[in-house]
Amino acid sequence: MGPVLWLSLRQLGGRWRLALVLLLAALPVALAAMIRIFSNDDSSDENGFVNVLLDGLIVGGIMPIVVMALATAAFGNEVEDRTLGYLVLKPIPRWKIALPKFLATIFIGGPVLIGGGVVATVLGLEAGPQAAVAVGVGLFAGVITYAAIFTWMGLISNLAIAFALIYVFLWEGLIASLIPGIEYFSVRGYTLAIMHGMDESALDALSTRVIDLPTAIVGATVVTLLFFGLTVRRLLRMDVP
Amino acid sequence: MNVTSTYQEVSPTEPIIAVRGVSKWFGSVVALNDVSLNIHPGLTGLLGPNGAGKTTLLHLISGQTKCSDGEVTVFGQQVRNNYQLYHRIGFLSEHETVYPFYTGRQFVEFAGKLNGLDSLASAVDHAIERVGLVDVQNRSLGTYSRGMRQRMRLAATLVHDPEVLILDEPLSGTDPRQRVEFQDLIVRLAGEGKTILISSHILEEVEAVAGRILLLMSGKLAAAGNFRAIRAKLDEQAYKVRIVTDAPRVMAAALVQTDAVESVSIGADGDIVVLSHNVAALMKSVPRLAQEHKIRLTRVEPLDDSLESIFSYIVER
Repeated sequence: MGPVLWLSLRQLGGRWRLALVLLLAALPVALAAMIRIFSNDDSSDENGFVNVLLDGLIVGGIMPIVVMALATAAFGNEVEDRTLGYLVLKPIPRWKIALPKFLATIFIGGPVLIGGGVVATVLGLEAGPQAAVAVGVGLFAGVITYAAIFTWMGLISNLAIAFALIYVFLWEGLIASLIPGIEYFSVRGYTLAIMHGMDESALDALSTRVIDLPTAIVGATVVTLLFFGLTVRRLLRMDVP
Repeated sequence: MNVTSTYQEVSPTEPIIAVRGVSKWFGSVVALNDVSLNIHPGLTGLLGPNGAGKTTLLHLISGQTKCSDGEVTVFGQQVRNNYQLYHRIGFLSEHETVYPFYTGRQFVEFAGKLNGLDSLASAVDHAIERVGLVDVQNRSLGTYSRGMRQRMRLAATLVHDPEVLILDEPLSGTDPRQRVEFQDLIVRLAGEGKTILISSHILEEVEAVAGRILLLMSGKLAAAGNFRAIRAKLDEQAYKVRIVTDAPRVMAAALVQTDAVESVSIGADGDIVVLSHNVAALMKSVPRLAQEHKIRLTRVEPLDDSLESIFSYIVER
């Protein structure tokens, strides 16, 4: 698995892609710093941070976009430039190809997103370490789950980014916020629920729209395993270009 | 040896690669149609025009593609998703893309690691020596010429010393000198007892190295065997060729005088239909006669579609 992981890290760690990831991750930090500077020290600022910056921008926008940019390329580039044969024509089982591809996205996107989210939370929420840990763990779960979904998408279609954008903004953004119950089938819903479940007081603004913590953990785990399994299945069944 | 539209090959000994009644279709497009063949140790050339189904057949043999019908075995085992079998198979694809951030050596090492080699360094050294790229092994692949890239890709294919080598258009992009070196290397590998299947759409490339040729036409195995035997068999068969000119009667009269022509007829539309047992001679005669009689040739084409490609390979020699 080591050689494929190193290969994947080099493939995904291109200068421009990393610059984009860092820029996006830095955006909420800069906005949180502004909130802190211009804060009125009332609870509306904290609610605003949670609803707009944490939920709307970080969890609803930046996290899926960053993971999408990385994970769809994990296999997408190899399918496009026809180098997938270098991996699948070797005596290694398919899951040992899929797992490092999946991990590479997490290893590159995870620290940047979690770091940015935690720093933004510390600055914007002025909460204790528990809230920062809650946001970090929630984002980690979200990155893993999205990575599984988008890695699969990158393998099944060369229009993966288009499909991923539609999925993120239509399903995760619009439908999940309009129709009650959809949060049980939403990565955004799992992420927010894990954050809220780990620090209910600091993230109280989320309490009206999150599912309970165990359900969120089970949901994120099931979705991750399901899409990882679909990726392996696809590798087994596909005609290698 | 046969040159009918579908050639069914049978061999008395146990083949290394066995293709049994294999068909492959993509939607409504039939890429391969009921192909059966056996491949034994040594060098076998897979010849056919672009679109004949060569790459599809090689992908089926290497397990990259699933058969729509039929069965492929290598060493008597199903190859698709049979990972352990890849210890014994090396595949060089027609696509020249490499990881540009790797040096040549790193690329071969990567292949060696994926093959789980114990003595990686010596295997990499040996593979790079074989392709003659020791001096440039630490240069980035992105700086290689096309021919060098092909040879380093071959080194990565050879690093685990596979018993079966499947090479898809390996000589494309090489200059004449590199081609000769590449061909020498392939012949040496075959001499070591490896089973090598090499594809090309250029007859000379395959004929120079392969003792045995498989001729694939429009998704069917049209012929198999020694090249000269194939050509001799082709010459025994009568073919219809349509010739369109601005003076059909003059051309027809001239054609009748040549030895290559069995009969000539002129259709209602003015097209000449020639029946010939020696298409090679006919194809030489037609332009000569047109020049002699100052006739303008508009079209010369075989009426049997399956022969169109044979024209390219056999007749043009």
